[in-house]
Amino acid sequence: MNQILVIAWREVSRLRKRFGGGASPLAVLALAAAVGFSAFTLRDTLSLGSGLYRVGVSGNVPNIQDSRFAVMEVSPEEGQALLAARAIDVWINGEVVFAREDDKSQYAERALKQYMEKSELRRIAETYPPGAAFPLRVSIHTSSGAAQSGAATPSDEVIIPSLTPPPAPFTQVLVALLYVLPITFISIFFTSSFMDEKMNRRLTILLSTPITPFQIIFGKMLPYATFSFFSIMLIAALTKANIALALAIFAPTTLFIFAIYLMVPLFYRTFKDVTFIAMLVTTLTTAYLVFPAMFTNVNDLAYISPLALAVKMYRGEGFGWREYLFPSVPMTAVFGFAMFAGTRLLNEEFLMGYKPITRKAADAIYLMMAHASPFWSVPLWSLLTIPVVYLTQVVFLAFAANLPVSLILMAILGASALVEEIVKSVGIVVLAQRGVITRWRDLFALSALSALGFLIGEKALLLISVQFVSQAKVSGALFGAGLLLLVPLAAHFLFVSLTSVLTAKAKFPYWLALALSSTAHFIYNWIILRGGQ
Amino acid sequence: MSAFFAVVKKELASVLRDRTIIIALLIQLFIASFSSALLLGMLSLYDADTILQFSGARVKVGIVGVESPLADFLRERGMTVTPFATLEEAQAEFFKNKVNAIFVTPQNPAEIQLYLPKNEAARALLRMVLQEPMKRYENFLRSERGIDVRYADLQGKPATSFEFMYSVLLPMLMFFPAFVAGSMSVDSLTEETENNTLQTLLSTPLSPSVMVSAKMTAAVFLAFAQCAAWLGLLSWNGVEIQNPIWILALAVLIAGSASALAMLGAVWLKDRERSQFIYSLALLAVAALGGALNVSPVMALSRLAIGDAFTSGWDVASYLILFAALYALVWKFAPRLVK
Repeated sequence: MNQILVIAWREVSRLRKRFGGGASPLAVLALAAAVGFSAFTLRDTLSLGSGLYRVGVSGNVPNIQDSRFAVMEVSPEEGQALLAARAIDVWINGEVVFAREDDKSQYAERALKQYMEKSELRRIAETYPPGAAFPLRVSIHTSSGAAQSGAATPSDEVIIPSLTPPPAPFTQVLVALLYVLPITFISIFFTSSFMDEKMNRRLTILLSTPITPFQIIFGKMLPYATFSFFSIMLIAALTKANIALALAIFAPTTLFIFAIYLMVPLFYRTFKDVTFIAMLVTTLTTAYLVFPAMFTNVNDLAYISPLALAVKMYRGEGFGWREYLFPSVPMTAVFGFAMFAGTRLLNEEFLMGYKPITRKAADAIYLMMAHASPFWSVPLWSLLTIPVVYLTQVVFLAFAANLPVSLILMAILGASALVEEIVKSVGIVVLAQRGVITRWRDLFALSALSALGFLIGEKALLLISVQFVSQAKVSGALFGAGLLLLVPLAAHFLFVSLTSVLTAKAKFPYWLALALSSTAHFIYNWIILRGGQ
Repeated sequence: MSAFFAVVKKELASVLRDRTIIIALLIQLFIASFSSALLLGMLSLYDADTILQFSGARVKVGIVGVESPLADFLRERGMTVTPFATLEEAQAEFFKNKVNAIFVTPQNPAEIQLYLPKNEAARALLRMVLQEPMKRYENFLRSERGIDVRYADLQGKPATSFEFMYSVLLPMLMFFPAFVAGSMSVDSLTEETENNTLQTLLSTPLSPSVMVSAKMTAAVFLAFAQCAAWLGLLSWNGVEIQNPIWILALAVLIAGSASALAMLGAVWLKDRERSQFIYSLALLAVAALGGALNVSPVMALSRLAIGDAFTSGWDVASYLILFAALYALVWKFAPRLVK
């Protein structure tokens, strides 16, 4: 523990040295916060469609203040001419609005309708007494089986239609995203810290001391993790949320982001690699966090993202343990896996080698597995990478949602078959290529173990998520639900051994063997899904 | 001059060799497909027009009580309206799934009741769809009380997709490469300074200013290639884009400015960590400033793309001035590298 603190302190002083005098890191952070918040407030003013429409006004027209409209005063003749010449999209003459038949003008009219509705409401609210300005009250009731007796059911809420917008999680998702911003920002320094050690070749010295790689990683992470937790608490306090709850919701997310940024310095070869990998990671995690959360309360799959929990929190709605564990367990598991990978990979030879990225990945997998007997490491690998597979498949889901409907299912099935086959076979293939496994017997035995490990992990995940995903047929196919366990085990075994035998014995290139087994897996999935209908 | 091109060529070759540029392309593809998926999802869940367009007649509303104009407003939005004599009858139909929602309109027209299913998703969806008829009914009650709501009869076509395409997706695709170009410039310069290869590079007949310019050229060229590819892909997909040449010119100028901005930081600080950090902060600050001053290349780009009558090449030219100013600063300060 002491050593971890020493490394953590060293990390803080490294940053202090980097940014000059004692106070300037704080100054920079304050600046960052100020800029971040100004950018955030900017989001409100910069709405969708900013500057797209031109409006001409003649006569007595309310003032239009909306970034979507560029307004100009025109005389009635000018207005008509400009509208006909397509120079303006809408012409407002007093209380009458003129538009053309073409799409652009029609879009402008709809946008204007939305704006005018709001501005008229403001006007009415200001000029008339509330009872006359908002005459309608709608009390909302729940139709329940017990309410057969008549209109005596108590109402859930009473709304005034023009003042009560229908519920949508948009704004809450944005607020929830605010929590993630400082974490991704601070992780730049976490990544840089390892790059620094690598550049100055100090890591060798550090590793020759009795400090373990785990202590190094943990020590370097400590200051940044502390910062992240403080920023979570601060944001929670500023937005008047429950601080402890916010911390509980975002702690797994924080660990997850650090896990991913730990991988960046381990794998990079040039600085450009770092930039690109870090960008990819940021985009994917943002997508992973935001996309499901938008559908909070619409689909239970939204709980894949912890932001959905935050949305719930901000609405003052409760959630149970199962809802909490559903996003948190995979994220924490990914963190655990990354820590393990980090401790294995933190050595001079691995860090310094300049190789194609695929070779580097193969080296990494070898280093992670080589310390134990393959009969332990192969099934364990398949078991422990399940959360990663799961997260990847969710990201695919977002990708595929953009395809034509008829292709969505095929694309998801194909992509997930590929990911699963890679995960199950890559360990065996790497070990075989390095001559650890040579015999046919071992190859088959390991394939069986890998299939078993994968299946156990898959089912364990299914156990957590079955309450949520059982309604969705697609996820059923992804995770192989509703089947006897032996059939998927045999199928997994078949596909893994196909890949490993083709690569290890028939000397096929790995991608080709993988393509063959993935195609087989895809066809299997397809048949299962057809049969299930 | 040949030394200049040698550096450009070397930079481009190294990017192609590392293959990591593929990641940048993947990100853009991901952002594009992800955000349109998001929009599609949002529209089909949160946009009454889209919901009704696809399944308007399948939304079945029961009405119990006195005759009310609300029924007409519901029908005009394309929903199926069934009158019932009592709430019990309506609820019986509700449990047979023949009716999705029930309005009860009592003698007092200003106090109506709405019965919705328990399922939260269905509830949210119905609230969304029923909002507009309820608002029209509210306006009807207002006019009975002598309050006139102006501009209530405007129609038009749902504009969300149009606004999203030209004010979000297109600017994102055009300016993301610019953002990458800046980061790449920082990387390629600080890599030389931190690995101490800069001195070797500068011992060739190459001034620091020319060397930095060459690195910027390579980064901007990549941005240009990406933008051109996106424009091609979009128009191939049937998206109508006016003034493509000006749009491309604007994108290149922004990429050049971002790259110059990033280089300024890198020339000053000479290490990647601080330079990238300052560059991202500077980008945010510039964006915030642009927003405050109401000048934004995003708006210029959207207007060029939709063929706005008051936007022309001159709007692009103003960004040439920005780029020239930043580039002049880079040229001036680059010799600091050898000090």
